[in-house]
Amino acid sequence: MSKSDSGSNPEYVNARVRARRAKLYDDEDYRKLVRMGTGEIARYMEESEYETEMNALGSRYSGVDLIEYALNRNLAKHFEDILDWSGGQLYDQLAAYLRKFDAWNLKTILRGVYADSASEEIEADLIRAGEFDDAFLARLLEVQDIEGIVELCSGTIFGPGLDEALEQYQETQALVPLENAVDRAFYEHLLDDAGRVTDVDSPAALYLEFLQAEIDFRNVRNALRLSRSGADIDPAEYFIEGGRLFDADELTQLVTNTDELVARIRDSAYGDDLSAALNELEEAESLIGFENALDAALQEYADHFSNSFPISVTPVLAYIIAKERETDNIRAIARGKEAGLNEDEIEAELVTI
Amino acid sequence: MFEALADAGMLTMDSVANFLPMQEEVLNGNAQPALTQKGAAAIGIGLAAIGAGYAERGIGAAAVGALAEDSISTGIAVFLTVLPETLAIFALVALFV
Repeated sequence: MSKSDSGSNPEYVNARVRARRAKLYDDEDYRKLVRMGTGEIARYMEESEYETEMNALGSRYSGVDLIEYALNRNLAKHFEDILDWSGGQLYDQLAAYLRKFDAWNLKTILRGVYADSASEEIEADLIRAGEFDDAFLARLLEVQDIEGIVELCSGTIFGPGLDEALEQYQETQALVPLENAVDRAFYEHLLDDAGRVTDVDSPAALYLEFLQAEIDFRNVRNALRLSRSGADIDPAEYFIEGGRLFDADELTQLVTNTDELVARIRDSAYGDDLSAALNELEEAESLIGFENALDAALQEYADHFSNSFPISVTPVLAYIIAKERETDNIRAIARGKEAGLNEDEIEAELVTI
Repeated sequence: MFEALADAGMLTMDSVANFLPMQEEVLNGNAQPALTQKGAAAIGIGLAAIGAGYAERGIGAAAVGALAEDSISTGIAVFLTVLPETLAIFALVALFV
């Protein structure tokens, strides 16, 4: 179904999405998975939701790769389904958010071409859930150089940003400006359709608030990573417009002083949601814990919204977030097992609410 | 010319009088309501049916969605879908009072 083909149908999409949400792994499942080896995890997945993907990919891959590819393909299947079901405004809102995977695919292809990987290898890593159709992705995969990819993308939302970043890339031969341009294009177009909300007490307003929260969290994350890495990079370059919490100048100042940054977040509207995360950041000085707590806070935010307007875009969005969390968690368990981490260490990596 | 105008004036007065029999009847004291009790009940039932239909639209869509995911049985889906029909049935009471 394409843009505004028919009216919005949140009832139908909600009923399906809620049924699928009930099938997601819960804490009990994670507890079991953490105690298993990779082979057992694959087996467990085959007996549940991931059966089709496991069977389709089982002959080609094994071990952690099998789990990883099955997760990606399952994610893509579910998100494509959501886009197929939804119509009208609902489609527009969800497609804007699921362009995240266009950004992901584009970055994967850029990195693959940069690293001279075979196009089959790149193709295996794609998540076909965004707006780019198979034909366009196939054309992107055929291109052998970065310039060609940028040229192909000129018709998409990523075009203008990539054009600008290409010059920087040609000067420095570093991929970072291009990747950064892709991310910024995604986040800045996220608010295109959602940005004009007239009614404060409506699902559209909550949707906007959620997107702003995600952008804010992304900014916080980038700022903390920059301040931790101690790299001499201008944080304003990584700043994404559209959030409510900071503007670019403020963030540049706060990056140098983590305590102030934490205090600033604590005083903001997110203070309550993030207080656990902030405590962890202050005590353990662990960025991973903080980032996981950010993810959990975002999930709680989405769930809270989906209770405010049960028949709207918000529960679908909450499902998308929850499904992504599940994929990330299973991947973390499998990768952790492969790397020989013990159960406690893996459990610390999981995002559960 | 003035004669013609005067004729036209007369005509208008006549036709107004012709088209206002109701007013005459009211004046005469045997008034008839424009909307009888039966007619009002019919409109009420119609509105109730429209309301029930609108409610069923959403529930039906959700029920089909849930059925497609195998999360409820067909019986429950049909039951929930026709539940607002009770409103239309209650509205029939208006016919008998």
